[in-house]
Amino acid sequence: MPSVILRDTNLHGNITEKDSITIDGIVVGEIKAEEVIILENGNITGDITADNNIEAGGQVTGDLYSERIHLNNSAKIRGKLSHRNLVVDEGAQLEIVSSTRKKITNNNKE
Amino acid sequence: MFFKSDKKNQDQVRGFSHLGENFRFDGEIDCKGEIEIAGKIKGNVKAKKLRILETGIVKGIVQAEDVEVLGHMVGNIDSKNIYIGNKGVIRGNLHFENNLTVLEGADISGHVQKNKKDKVKRSDTDKVKYLEHNKIAS
Repeated sequence: MPSVILRDTNLHGNITEKDSITIDGIVVGEIKAEEVIILENGNITGDITADNNIEAGGQVTGDLYSERIHLNNSAKIRGKLSHRNLVVDEGAQLEIVSSTRKKITNNNKE
Repeated sequence: MFFKSDKKNQDQVRGFSHLGENFRFDGEIDCKGEIEIAGKIKGNVKAKKLRILETGIVKGIVQAEDVEVLGHMVGNIDSKNIYIGNKGVIRGNLHFENNLTVLEGADISGHVQKNKKDKVKRSDTDKVKYLEHNKIAS
């Protein structure tokens, strides 16, 4: 079952999830999952690696790696993006370096 | 999803956080509301209400108001109310203030103690009064 972290919850540490994860709270640390959905109140400091999809509607400070990245209109993103597919909605506040790749690896982290 | 409906009501959170079966986490959790753990957690957990499901494993110190253990728990629990289900496994000490419920079949090894914080404070103040009295007397 996918995980849900609501906005009354703070996590400090690294997360690994083989399923989907929905975040509306504060996370400080690295996130690895199949799919990451960040809601409006979500605030993440750390790198996010998702196999399939990242949907960001909250604040992210850190690098994003995914097949498909969708930045919603409420997104505030600062960091590097690696993706095959990028969607940015009107209103997203960005301070990013973005690169489209055929294969997503964590290489630019090192 | 269910949590989208309460966006207007910012201070109140309806529902609870859920950490799924495949969730692995290394670090600290601080939850002001309710949280349900079905995955593996290594680290301390602070919550108002904590539920460790049958597949859940928590290694660390738990501080909460209500704790329900249906899965594995390694470490001490400090809570007002503790409930341990029939498949619950505890390796660690239990400190509770109000109620402790243990169902038949639960596996516990550790100290079990009822805390009364008021009592501790009272003895402290008595001591202070005694010391003050001694000062005045001398």
